[in-house]
Amino acid sequence: MSSTGRHLPADPAAEAPAVSAAVAPSARQTQKEATRRRVMAAARELFDTQGYQGATIREIARHAGVSVGSVFTTFASKYEILSQIMLDRLDGLYAELDRMTPHLRGPTVDRLRTMFAIHFAFEVRHKRLFLAYLAAAFDWTLPTTSMQMGRNRRLQAIIGDCLAKGVEQGDVDPAVDRQEAIDLLLGAYVWTYRLAAWHDADAQAMTEVMDRQIGLICSGFRPR
Amino acid sequence: MKAPTRRALAKQQTRAKVLAAARRLFSEAGYEGATIRDIAAAAGMSTGAVFANFSDKSDLFREIMLTDMAALGDAMSEAGARGTSVEDALLKIFMAGYGFYRTQLPLARAAFSVGWSPQDGPALRSAPPAQALHGLFRETLEKGVGKGEITGADLELRAHMLFETYLSNYPQAIFEGWTLEALETRSRDQIRVLLDGVRKA
Repeated sequence: MSSTGRHLPADPAAEAPAVSAAVAPSARQTQKEATRRRVMAAARELFDTQGYQGATIREIARHAGVSVGSVFTTFASKYEILSQIMLDRLDGLYAELDRMTPHLRGPTVDRLRTMFAIHFAFEVRHKRLFLAYLAAAFDWTLPTTSMQMGRNRRLQAIIGDCLAKGVEQGDVDPAVDRQEAIDLLLGAYVWTYRLAAWHDADAQAMTEVMDRQIGLICSGFRPR
Repeated sequence: MKAPTRRALAKQQTRAKVLAAARRLFSEAGYEGATIRDIAAAAGMSTGAVFANFSDKSDLFREIMLTDMAALGDAMSEAGARGTSVEDALLKIFMAGYGFYRTQLPLARAAFSVGWSPQDGPALRSAPPAQALHGLFRETLEKGVGKGEITGADLELRAHMLFETYLSNYPQAIFEGWTLEALETRSRDQIRVLLDGVRKA
């Protein structure tokens, strides 16, 4: 709830006149937006407590107080609801990272560690939601093109920039295949969540393991 | 004494029939999409008969995965034994796995989905055949240490990372249709990077 609160305009009343100006279409629009918000709030709660498989569309509709039909007029699939929830959350995270990455200094290995530590600290707040997202990446009802796990473009871009800076400052081999390096780091990142899924690890425990993995991978990428 | 034997035999055949039908349906509809009712219908029996043999869908799926993982473990371990060096052995292990699942990627996809699920994941992952797959990477590194090819630095972590890297290439195979050649090129590079710090000159 607090994160949706942050996206609200500072003074909600200031927008009220615009809404009432064109009554008919806006009312429907507002209604649709309200349904959307209620579905997402209900789904977020259910994914977080029941996991992806456990949270059915019917349950989501019931918790949101809307019909199953109106869930489907707003979202194409269960996965789309989850995707949207994750994207909305990540907006906050990437805004934070965009602000701080230009100021990161030091060896590439340390910059990568900082970046991933921020991710763990962020995702662990809703660990089951994130795990639901990982399980959902293999959902059968998805077109194969919607695969997102480890394919997050913004995260890939941030890692790519980190490595590019490393080439500049001389602690990453220029011959290293950038995409391959990104995939290796992302693979380690995603699988580190096994510690949360199976051993109930917290952000600190995951960060410690990831730090060692980043160290090992970076030593494989140093200039010869 | 004849009656129980015949009954036991019939039961075994029923199990085999259910497993075959389930394997096909999981491959076609995924884990969530395949219901016990569909599986029973495909096997030509009642849902009651299915439940007489398996406690639930996850039990059924686990049985299929464990059978596969045991066969996969044998294939990987044999492939690894033919390796001429620790790097070559690891690459052969990776490729034995990808070759095994190449023809049944939908089932691999279902396995990943179940593996991450909070309800059914733990039982699947902690099963002995799954543990054995994981152990194979450690044993291969230990053998390399024994032969003096590599040092044992961070051996446990490196074994984990090799296993995870092996797994992390599956999405590319499943969703992007990577060929075995593409997977091999990628795997060779990954293994090289992960062994960089321990390789002896």
